[in-house]
Amino acid sequence: MTGTKEEWRILEDWGRAVPAPEGLAVDDMLAHAVSEKGSPPLLHLYTFEPSAIVGKYQDIRAALKPDRCLDRGVAFNRRSTGGGTVIMGPEVVALGFSISLEDPRMGRGIDGVFRVMSGILLEALGRLGVRAGFRPRNDLEVQGRKLAGLSACAETGNCVLFHASILVDFDVGLMLDIMNTPAEKMTDKGYGCFSRRITTIRAETGRRVTMKEAMEAIRESFADGFGIRWTSSSMTPWERETAARLEEERYRNPEWVFSHRHPRFRMGEALRKTPGGLLQVNLSLANHVIDQVVITGDFFAATEGVQRLESALKWTLAERDRILDAVKQVWTPGLIFGMDPETITEAVLAAGERCVNA
Amino acid sequence: MEFEGFTLPDDLYYHEEHSWARLENDGTVTVGMNDFFQKEAGEIVFVDMPEEDDEVEQGEVCGKLQSRKWIGKLCAPLSGAVIELNEELDDDFTRINSDPYGAGWIFKMTASRPEEELANLYHGESVRPWIEAELAKAAEERAKSS
Repeated sequence: MTGTKEEWRILEDWGRAVPAPEGLAVDDMLAHAVSEKGSPPLLHLYTFEPSAIVGKYQDIRAALKPDRCLDRGVAFNRRSTGGGTVIMGPEVVALGFSISLEDPRMGRGIDGVFRVMSGILLEALGRLGVRAGFRPRNDLEVQGRKLAGLSACAETGNCVLFHASILVDFDVGLMLDIMNTPAEKMTDKGYGCFSRRITTIRAETGRRVTMKEAMEAIRESFADGFGIRWTSSSMTPWERETAARLEEERYRNPEWVFSHRHPRFRMGEALRKTPGGLLQVNLSLANHVIDQVVITGDFFAATEGVQRLESALKWTLAERDRILDAVKQVWTPGLIFGMDPETITEAVLAAGERCVNA
Repeated sequence: MEFEGFTLPDDLYYHEEHSWARLENDGTVTVGMNDFFQKEAGEIVFVDMPEEDDEVEQGEVCGKLQSRKWIGKLCAPLSGAVIELNEELDDDFTRINSDPYGAGWIFKMTASRPEEELANLYHGESVRPWIEAELAKAAEERAKSS
């Protein structure tokens, strides 16, 4: 049957760490190749040199500490898909994928794309022995701990460019050193707080899963999930030229990297004494929408529940009714012992009202 | 028209990428994104707008909209020139969600050949079958993945 399967193309750049401008430019080229040159769907699997990559419409100076990045030998750049900052490096799988939105195997619309793509990646993680799940809105998690981030854009013809970063291993300390996070002023200082919110393939499997093994699992999961077979491919001359042009014009151009086209980012915090204990909310706003939120304190709660709550609040308009709706969506009795959705809502609202420029 | 929970005013013209065009009495055209789009996209975090005086072609991607981790297209529903941007959106892009046909308008334009191009847009009786087809595709997708 193998001979009857449709052939898709894969660019495997596995033998080296790719500089951020090059990796991002090749990813952008994928959508142009599919849209303008009729290429079959294209997958680019690789690893970056240590790099902090912000989302297209993030304020890079609010998201990162560029000087610390330079001190730590971490490059920084801006990708063409949405979402938040990711820290990439030799133990994080980088994935770029482009396909026509009209392909019947692709999900319809925004939710459809994320549903199909998360299904493929969850299956790949399953092959490695990790039982993960999709966490709305766009992360893969294991019991509330984020293991992979997904993002997408649909700007080129009728194609989607999909990005994913999958943590095989991860340096939380480095992340906290180079990123501005709402956790800066938290009583539960950074490391413990974030290490409870992030996990990796190696942490979940308890073994030293290699990058090659992880990328092979992803490659095979794509093939089975879409019912295709891969043609290992190199770039055509046109693709190489297009990627080189995008690298020069975009990813090596300070005007792109430090773009001012983004919403206003601000950060704030609120502390509340409640019957259930001290409740601390730290958040960042992109205009009036919650960008990141971290809920901590000395209350009793399952880590997973708190993280579901944080995820539900992300990308929610910082208004009382919207916050309360988001909290109620995931609230279960005792999620945070001694508190109710109204208490959480008031604290989130207060943190939002106290936001100052990041 | 209210249809399956979506509001699609009868006086508007709709591009297949879900931008809408309203022909104003002064000859200008107001452009925004429709209710179907905003419900599917969720809270709009940012709009990368065209520039004033930009010349656009019908269907051309003249801006971008970010919601959650998705960046989508803002397509010009007609050809012409951008004459005004809704600068109040800068304070709160979720006006596109809360009032897509009012305070959530995105830009105004002059149309250069509306007489030939309006026929390419959904309007009146063609709106319902279009949205029905979009919903059917979504239902089919959900059935496949369940």
